Amino acid sequence: MKTKGHKAFASLRAGVVATVAAALVITPLAVANSAEAPTFGKRCTTEGVSTGQTTASLICTEGSNGRLTWQRVRLGSTNARPVATSTPPKGTIEFHHWRPEDRAVLQGIIDKYESRYPGTKINQVIMTSVDYTNLAFAKINANRKAAVFVTSRGGQFNQFFAGGLLADLSNQRFMRQNVIASALTPGTVGGKVYGLPYQSLFNNPLYNAELFAKQGWKVPTTWSQTLAFCRTAKAAGFIPFAWPGATRGNAGQIINSFLMNSAPDLATLEARILAVDTGRADLTAPWFVEIANKYKAMADNGCFPANPTGYNDTVAPADFAAGKAAIYPTGTFGMSTVTRLNPSMSGKMKMMSLITTDSRPLYQGITNNTFILSVNAKASATDQRIAASFISFLAQAENAQAYAVGTSQHVSIINVDYAANVDLLNTSDIMGKKLLLAPRFLFNNVNNVRNPMEDALIAITGGADVMKTLTDTSRTIKQGLSS
Amino acid sequence: MAAPAFALYSFLYLYPAVTNLLYSTQRWDGVTTPEFVGLKNFQNLLTNDDLFLKILGNNIRFSLIVVIFQTGFALLFATFLLKNTRTNIFLRTVYFFPTILSSVSVGLIWTFLYDPNYGFINAVLKAIGLDSLAMNWLGDARFSLYAVALTQVWFHTGQMVVIYVAGLQQIPAELYEAAEVDGASRWQQFKNVTWPMALPTTAVVVAYTTIQTFRAFDLIYAMTSGGPLNSSDLLVTMVFNTAFVGYKFGYAATQTIFLVLLVLLVTYLQRRVLRIDDGTKK
Repeated sequence: MKTKGHKAFASLRAGVVATVAAALVITPLAVANSAEAPTFGKRCTTEGVSTGQTTASLICTEGSNGRLTWQRVRLGSTNARPVATSTPPKGTIEFHHWRPEDRAVLQGIIDKYESRYPGTKINQVIMTSVDYTNLAFAKINANRKAAVFVTSRGGQFNQFFAGGLLADLSNQRFMRQNVIASALTPGTVGGKVYGLPYQSLFNNPLYNAELFAKQGWKVPTTWSQTLAFCRTAKAAGFIPFAWPGATRGNAGQIINSFLMNSAPDLATLEARILAVDTGRADLTAPWFVEIANKYKAMADNGCFPANPTGYNDTVAPADFAAGKAAIYPTGTFGMSTVTRLNPSMSGKMKMMSLITTDSRPLYQGITNNTFILSVNAKASATDQRIAASFISFLAQAENAQAYAVGTSQHVSIINVDYAANVDLLNTSDIMGKKLLLAPRFLFNNVNNVRNPMEDALIAITGGADVMKTLTDTSRTIKQGLSS
Repeated sequence: MAAPAFALYSFLYLYPAVTNLLYSTQRWDGVTTPEFVGLKNFQNLLTNDDLFLKILGNNIRFSLIVVIFQTGFALLFATFLLKNTRTNIFLRTVYFFPTILSSVSVGLIWTFLYDPNYGFINAVLKAIGLDSLAMNWLGDARFSLYAVALTQVWFHTGQMVVIYVAGLQQIPAELYEAAEVDGASRWQQFKNVTWPMALPTTAVVVAYTTIQTFRAFDLIYAMTSGGPLNSSDLLVTMVFNTAFVGYKFGYAATQTIFLVLLVLLVTYLQRRVLRIDDGTKK
C-alpha cells in the first residue's frame, strides 16, 4: 500500500514537474526578451531570438526602419506547409547508420513505414561509430543496396561527396517544406542539398538547475560572472565545470563557445579558422592566444576539477549526475548518459550559454546538425526513390517526434513537440536564442589541425606554458599539413 | 600442394605488402585518384616530421620498458612456479588470467585504477602517507607512457610465464644435480644452468613481447588515445590516425614501412644479443 501510494505520489510529482516545465517552455521562450509576451508585430529587444520551431513561432527581426519586432518565423526554405510522404515503389533497401542505441526507435518507425507501404522494406545496417568512421565509405561505395545512409558533418560528409555517393535532393519538396532551413547548411554544397541533417544538437553546457536553486546561484551570463561563479561554487565544495579534459572528443565541445564570441563577426571568425586550418596562420595569432589565456583563466579560477587532464568522460557525467558538479559542459547529447547514471536527474537539467566576453555577445549559444541522411547516388533509380520516400517519412513531424522522444535528441524537423520528454523540453529554450552552427567543425583537418589544437588547450589547463605550447603545436600543425 | 598454399599466401600477404609499397609512393585520400609522388613521403617523414620522431622515441622507450620488465618478471615467476604442485598450477592460472581479458577491458580497468581523483592507486598512496607520489598518471605527459607500459606488463606477463615454465621444464634435472654435487649455490645454478638453457625460450619471449609492444593499439586507444600531447602515442596509433582520421593513406603506408623495418631491425638485434640462431645457442 505504501509502495503504491509512494509510486502514485512520484508519478503525480513527475506529472506536476513536467506540466510546470512545459508551461515554462511552451510559454513563449523569449519572455525574458520583452516585458510582454511576444506578439506578432510588437517590439522586441534581441535580434535573432525566437519563440520556438513550429509554424506558429515568432522571431525577433529588425525591420527596414531599424526597429526590432516579432515576426512570423519562416522555418522552412519556403512558406509552404510541410508535405506528406512520397509513395515508394516496391523493393528492399538498406539503411546504414552508426547508432545501435537508436535501433529500436528507428525499427518502430520502419515498421510503421512498411505497414503503410506493403512490399517496400528497409533493413537497418548498423556499425559502431568508430567502425562507421573508418569503414562506411568503403562498404557503402561497394554496395548499391545501401540506398540510405548517414554521414557526420564535415570530414565524412565531404568524403562521401568527393566520392560521388550523394544524390542531389534539392528538388525534394520535403527538404524545402518539412525541414528547418538553417539546419540544412551541413548537408548543402554549392547551393544544392545532398543530405538532411536529422539531429539538432546543442553543444552548450548543461547545468543542474536544482543545485543552482538550492545554492542560490545565478547562471552566469558574462565572462566575469563565469569566473566568479567558479570561485563561489568551488568554495562551496562543488566542481563548477565537470569538464572531461582526458577525453578529447567531449573536452573539445567548449571550444565552440570560446570561438563564437571571439571575432567581431562571423565572416572574420570563418576567415581566421580557415587560415589556421590551411596553415596560413599559427595558433600564436593574438585572437587564439586570447582564447588559450581564457582556458588558463578558467583553470586558475578553479572552474575545472582537480587534475583536469586526467578527468575523463566517464567520471565527468557521473560527478554531474551525483550532484557533485554544477555544470557538465558538453551538450544535449550528454543528457541521456546523465539520466542513465541517475534517473532522478531527469527534469533537473537545463542548458546555459557559456559566454566568454563581458561585452555584448555576438552569439548566445551553439547548435550543430548532424546524422545527415542521404540517398546513394550509385543505387538503382528504384532504390533511390524508396530511399527518398523513406527520408520524407522520417521528415514527418510525428515520426521525427517519435525519434526525438525515444532517443532524447532534438531534430531539425518543423512542428515537433518535445513535451513528452521533460529533458528535451527543459533544454528547448536554447532554440530561442541566437545560435551559431558549431564552429569547431569548420576545422576540416581533424588529425593535423583540430586534434593538436584541442590537445594544446587541454595541456594549458593542466599547467603547460601558453606560448610554448602554442608555438610547439603550431610547428606540429605546419609539418602535418605539409605531409 | 605447394601451389594453392602459395596462391593463398600471395593473396593474403604478398599482395597487401606490395600494394602498401605502391601506396607509399602516392598521395591518396582514399577517395580521389592517387597521385604519384615518388619518394616524397619518405623524405618528408625523415626530414620534416618531428611528431614521427617523437612517437618513434615513445615506441622505443615503451618497447624497452615492456620487454625488460615483462621478460624479467615472467622468468622470475616461472622459476618459482616450476614444479607442478597444486599451488603452483593455481598461481600460474591466476597470473595467466589477465591474458584472456580483452585489451579494451584491461584499458578501462586500469584507467579507473589510475584515475587521479578517485583511482585506487592514488587512494592507496594517500592512505599510507605518500601523497606526494599520487600523480595524474594518464593525464600528465611525463607519466602517461610509463603508466600504459606498466599495464601492458601486467596484461601479458602471465602468458610469458607459461612459455617460460614449459621451456624451463625441459632442462634435464641431471644438470642441477651435477651443479649441486659441485657445490653450486642457487644463484650459481641459475647463472650457469637455468639462464643458458633458457636462452632459446628467452629469445621467443623477447621476440614475441617486442612484437606485442609494436601492436599495442587497443590498449593505448582505450587508455589515452595517445595523449596528452602525443606523449603515449605509438607508431601503430600514429599510422591509424594518419590513415583513418587524416585520410592520408599514402603517408600512412610510408609510416607502416618504417614500422615493419623497425620491428625487423629490433628482432635481428635481439637475436644477435642473445646469440640465437634457429632457436639454438651458438
